[in-house]
Amino acid sequence: MKSARLVSLATVVLLLLGWEAVSELEWLSPMFLPSPSRVLHQFVVLSRDGYAGATLWEHAGTSLLRILCGFAVAASAAIPIGLLMGTNRWIKGALDPVIEFYWPLPPLAYLPLMIIWIGIDEAAKVTLLGMAMFAPICLAAQAGVRSVPIERIHAAQSLGASRRQLFFYILLPSALPEIMTGIRISIGTGWATLVAAELIAATEGIGFMIMSAANFLATDIVFAGIITIAVCALASAAAARWAERLLVPWKGKS
Amino acid sequence: MLTVEHASVHYPVKDGAALQALDDVSLTIGEGEFVVLVGASGCGKTTLLSAIAGFQKLTGGSIRLDGAEIRGPGRDRGVVFQKDNLLPWANAADNVAFGLKLQGMGRRARRERARELLSQVGLDGFAETPPHALSGGMRQRVGLARALATEPKILLMDEPLGALDGMTRETMQELIARVLAGTKKRILFITHSTEEALFLGTSILVMSPRPGRIAGRFESRYIHSFLDGRDAASIKSDPGFVETRKAIRELVRANGPS
Repeated sequence: MKSARLVSLATVVLLLLGWEAVSELEWLSPMFLPSPSRVLHQFVVLSRDGYAGATLWEHAGTSLLRILCGFAVAASAAIPIGLLMGTNRWIKGALDPVIEFYWPLPPLAYLPLMIIWIGIDEAAKVTLLGMAMFAPICLAAQAGVRSVPIERIHAAQSLGASRRQLFFYILLPSALPEIMTGIRISIGTGWATLVAAELIAATEGIGFMIMSAANFLATDIVFAGIITIAVCALASAAAARWAERLLVPWKGKS
Repeated sequence: MLTVEHASVHYPVKDGAALQALDDVSLTIGEGEFVVLVGASGCGKTTLLSAIAGFQKLTGGSIRLDGAEIRGPGRDRGVVFQKDNLLPWANAADNVAFGLKLQGMGRRARRERARELLSQVGLDGFAETPPHALSGGMRQRVGLARALATEPKILLMDEPLGALDGMTRETMQELIARVLAGTKKRILFITHSTEEALFLGTSILVMSPRPGRIAGRFESRYIHSFLDGRDAASIKSDPGFVETRKAIRELVRANGPS
């Protein structure tokens, strides 16, 4: 474990050194590959003076808020729908074609429809993120219901559980570990969809900043934006794992 | 009185044929009776128990508990499984109290009842322990306490000691004898061990496989002599015990591979 971490660290250091060397030796124009120090400098400038009227923190905050809203929408729909699809084959039969049709689609493909149907305000961005984040949670909730051992259901029925009690006291908690896995995947999907969502007439957000800076060939800002997204995604994955340990401490122990 | 009359279960298999899992089984379990089912694997013991529990529908015959026909699972029949099936997210006390929670009993009352029951099965001080931190024997004790909590009319035990090591198993046999003697419950108990069957049961039914039916019946009073204070080891080495056990084992052998 420890040695694996060391290897990872060595990889990062080597990559950074290689990157610095390539730009130092001017093999590539800074427009193609700005040096790490320049990107670092850009971080300082962006957090102090900002870009397009907002600091880096404000851009990141806006993006984070959009992802959280998208997640709230996705999770509040996907968990009940997934659980119902897992328990009722009629509902599953009815909804399967819709979900199977849309979830492999790249969000960029239905982005124009979002704009035509919903418009260009925040709702469109949140809807796009929500749609991308819905499927992993919904599929996980279904898998969670299917993973409930039949004997656990039998045990509860023998203790007098009604259908409603079976759902809330057995199915829901039994599906929770799988749902948490789905949530972790969905948060990753959210960050992966961010740039697409912020193509919709955004004036703020990390995705907007990247696309806007690219128009001016400000590669150092693009790099700073990419690194910011990566760091945010890593941090939210860690937060999700922490929430998982808190909510399903029994995971993998039964 | 639990009355099983001409109970049959057959599963449809390919080409319109049917697998006869249970064929025309009749039995009764009265007040204070401890009925043990023994038989080779696949002889329909678990099918019969599942049908009484209400998990498995009969294709013929009927099962009645105190006159009422059994149509599905219900809390008048408590079940103890081989795999304990405890809720992994709840501690021992909450597992024991789960049935009481389903009945709408208040939190404090059911915690108190759970503590009493845990104490009865020898698990004082384990109320807050999660299932994954308990040993196999302890988990089965929690499962037994959980089944007793809702005060069922009959207790159905499907190889509850099957997964335990020899020592734990013997301790658990004695615990079951003592705990259940106090409750005067009707019990249906499945085991592979003829020794366990003869030690615990007041009636021992030997089942034969394909189709599953009852091939023989033995009566026993060893559980009573144990409860009267005779030592379990001395009972199990009693010549009469050894002889009867041999007869049961021969009948099981004669009715399919063990």
